[in-house]
Amino acid sequence: MLSDYFSNAKKKSPLAPKTVEQMPHTLAGLSFKDWRDSRKKNHKMRNIRWAVLLFMNLLFVFSYWLDLAILEGSLSGSRLIGFYLMDPYNSLQLLAISSTTGYLAMLTMNFWIGLFTILIFWLIFGGRSYCSWMCPYHFLAEWAEKVHNYLVKKKKIKERSYHIGLRFVFLVGFLLLAVLTRNLVFENLNVVGIVSKAMIYGPSLLLLWVLAIILFEVFVSRRFWCRYVCPIGATWSLVGKASPLAIKFEHDKCGYCLECQKVCLVPHELWFVKRGAATQDVHYVGSDCTRCGLCVDVCPGNALTYAVRGASSLL
Amino acid sequence: MDKEKKNLNRREFFKGGIAAAGTLAVVGTATFILDKSAAKSMPREDFLRPPGAISEEDFLYGCIKCGLCVQICPVHAIELAGAGEGLGFGTPYIAPRIQACDFSCDALQCVETCPTAVLDFRPFKEEGVRAVEKAATEPGADLSTVNPFEVQKVAMKEAVRMGKAHVNRNTCLAHKGEGFKGNPRGTDFKGVHRSPGKNEVSASPLKDRIFDREVCDLCITECPIGEKAIIQRRSRSGRKLIPHVLDGCTGCGVCQMVCPTAQPSIVVEPF
Repeated sequence: MLSDYFSNAKKKSPLAPKTVEQMPHTLAGLSFKDWRDSRKKNHKMRNIRWAVLLFMNLLFVFSYWLDLAILEGSLSGSRLIGFYLMDPYNSLQLLAISSTTGYLAMLTMNFWIGLFTILIFWLIFGGRSYCSWMCPYHFLAEWAEKVHNYLVKKKKIKERSYHIGLRFVFLVGFLLLAVLTRNLVFENLNVVGIVSKAMIYGPSLLLLWVLAIILFEVFVSRRFWCRYVCPIGATWSLVGKASPLAIKFEHDKCGYCLECQKVCLVPHELWFVKRGAATQDVHYVGSDCTRCGLCVDVCPGNALTYAVRGASSLL
Repeated sequence: MDKEKKNLNRREFFKGGIAAAGTLAVVGTATFILDKSAAKSMPREDFLRPPGAISEEDFLYGCIKCGLCVQICPVHAIELAGAGEGLGFGTPYIAPRIQACDFSCDALQCVETCPTAVLDFRPFKEEGVRAVEKAATEPGADLSTVNPFEVQKVAMKEAVRMGKAHVNRNTCLAHKGEGFKGNPRGTDFKGVHRSPGKNEVSASPLKDRIFDREVCDLCITECPIGEKAIIQRRSRSGRKLIPHVLDGCTGCGVCQMVCPTAQPSIVVEPF
């Protein structure tokens, strides 16, 4: 049962694809095209998510500006009504360096509490959901992505993609760099931290770096930073492997239209939506998923929904 | 077919991996060099690390740049360094001429709030406890009148060592035998401080204060530490009354902020 929880069942032999009679559009009495486009204008989850993201980031800003003391600090490290929260990748670098210098013993109890609180919180709420529900850079990148997709559609630029595992090269690489240089190297390039700090403490020169990354995403590679670089996302992806909150896929409601893959930040995690690819009646989307809900919004058959993994076996 | 795809996939990963490793190597070396050169050319007299800061070498990686110390400071003395200032992007510093640390938070809150202890609270805590114990055991100490909180506060404050103030004899008004009358930093100066002489609860703007001194002694009267840090004494010739900095100086920089000369005649030099 536990192995079921962690496995994505990719290696099993696929189920037989559905016949035309079994397809959801036939059952609904619509043409495939009408059925497919029926939820294209639905943006419910996205709007909720944007509201949460903007609220949380503005809470940081106004906590400081208006001295509200609700959510102090920045995304690198903060305090929510007195409880510390630490960015895990930042902490990981710090731990890696300080284990070589003996500084480890200096770290305060607040640091450890903050690190474990946030790890447990996002372990419950999906790991990489941090990206789409909290990260201010993700919000900017979503707009850049729209422009990028438009340019690709108009054939102004060619789509370029890289290997999805590169994030882990960066994750390990920046950790090593931190230890070698005794400096939080990544923090100087961390677009998430730069945007967060620019909002709270005022803009800095490093916003130019953020701009460069955004331009790269617009003109070269779709969601380059989030997909291939960001070690913070990679850390959350590791945390999310065990998370119970996930997007659930039900094969019997799927019409193989692939609308979900088109909007997805990590389409490789939706490998089972292709005709003849699913190996089980129910799949849970893997840990790279940011639980952003774009696929939930767009799925015409409601085959993709938010769910709690393992809940059915517990009840 | 599947195997071919897998190989292609692997090739792509290695290609990307090498590119990523190359980028990292460049970035890493660049940061390393910039960091070393910046540390050398650091304008040390222009900034102070906040109270309790550990050695600069450890500070640079220990500080996670969250800015909690910035947010908690009631007088907004702490700022985060921008890129290219040579301090490590995002690390906190105090520019005392603009806004000094005047201890009006009373309990070193920036130090207490720091989660990674690059502003290390432990020595202050120990100092506070020691002072309370000492006050309680002093002969003739009346425990009902000793306020441990007050004793602790003062002891912790006095244990701060951000730097030490140095007087420039050539420009100091007292050294020239001059007095000072008026507003030391002009009416549009934004800095605030809690003057020890006025018994205030919180800091008030310096621009609202008018001084009238026969011999300028602002650095002495406004010092939040008092006679353990700076005193007025006679010059060797005996003709002038000049400020004299003692080892009790915490380097808070209030003297530097209130000094009325165009360039401050008393400057804190960090340790």
